[in-house]
Amino acid sequence: MLNYPVSIYRQAMVILDSSSKPSEASVAPYETVHVQLSATGFMGEMPTETLILATFSSVPVIWESELRQQEYQELGAALGEMTKLEEGDEWKIDPPVYNAACYVAAGLMVHSFPAPRIFNHGTKSVVFNWSYGADNMYLTISADHISALISSPERIKRRVEYSLNELTDPSTALQSVRTFLKKPVQRLASGAVTDPTEFVG
Amino acid sequence: MRCGGYIPDGDSLFRQSVFPLAFKGPRYAHQKLLKLDYDEGSRSLLGSLTWGRYVPTTEFIHRYGCRLAFHMNEKSRAAGKFKEKDRRVYCGAYELKGKAIRALATSDELDEVLSADVVHHVEEGEIAHTDLRIVLKPGSANIEGTKTAIVVALWGGCSGPLRHKCDCDRGMAEHPSSSLTTAPAGDYSDTRSYWLRLWCIVRFQICNWLWQKNFWHP
Repeated sequence: MLNYPVSIYRQAMVILDSSSKPSEASVAPYETVHVQLSATGFMGEMPTETLILATFSSVPVIWESELRQQEYQELGAALGEMTKLEEGDEWKIDPPVYNAACYVAAGLMVHSFPAPRIFNHGTKSVVFNWSYGADNMYLTISADHISALISSPERIKRRVEYSLNELTDPSTALQSVRTFLKKPVQRLASGAVTDPTEFVG
Repeated sequence: MRCGGYIPDGDSLFRQSVFPLAFKGPRYAHQKLLKLDYDEGSRSLLGSLTWGRYVPTTEFIHRYGCRLAFHMNEKSRAAGKFKEKDRRVYCGAYELKGKAIRALATSDELDEVLSADVVHHVEEGEIAHTDLRIVLKPGSANIEGTKTAIVVALWGGCSGPLRHKCDCDRGMAEHPSSSLTTAPAGDYSDTRSYWLRLWCIVRFQICNWLWQKNFWHP
């Protein structure tokens, strides 16, 4: 015999970006809704109004940056694992590449950019990749260079190279990401990251 | 009839996709379509493709791929590094034309490329193997960024995939070939007429026989 649940915890969530102001009122983390079970499903006998009220009467509010932080912790963990792989492993990267990638990732996180997908061409670089519609953006990060590339499925649309000097202040490279993701310009917090590996590692 | 020599612009070249090399987790990553190695002496980025002349039908393309994955696993076993979770699995191939490779040298977005070509070069007993050779201009500093740009540019000219499951992988519960994504140029379509296809097979058989018997050295 199947064991049906007797109560369901429904979790709605409001995500605020950095320009939003959260409500003064405190919010409960979740609300318990008791439902009558039917043979055909859980929700069949629940009026729509109750569902909506129950869902939206009390929702947790979290900052977009908190969500991003978790994504970037995962990114940092993945980058860390890539340095520990055996020699000859396709995904292994060199420590200087890891340091540069963490530095750029920290800058991305500070500005609440979505965490990128990552891949590599070998030990000497990491590539951060975002999709926006059919277009893609790639940030190729090596120990002493960053290059940005935007492409449609058919062709390369734009390439920009950044040198070693610009790595000390990656805000120029971040501007490319911001433009690509059509994100509103936010106040730059240059210098806020003292040890990027701690941030994302 | 010529066996080797220059690879015409209109000839098909294939890139075999092997799990997990071209994958990120269980998903195909077109960004890893090609593995490009930099040779500092010749300032060249080198890769591998197979020439359609020596894999004249889909069956030959896939046989090559299955052998490729098999040999990778054998090498790994011989080195004592084989792990079942990293077992190489051939998943299928993407096609691109010789013209797409040579176009890299004239692309506005790839200023650093001096020349780009694909050259027939038998390797490890594989007559269909070709070298992809992209020579960079002197002073090209950001090799890794160039690799990304080349892979993106070549992916744009790809068609396929031609999915396949090798006999040794048919027992897999979830074969990774299902995650291969359609290339920007769309599905692969063999537009050769019946007679041209027949001629390609006959030519391949003759050239392969000449090579096996040492009458021809590519």
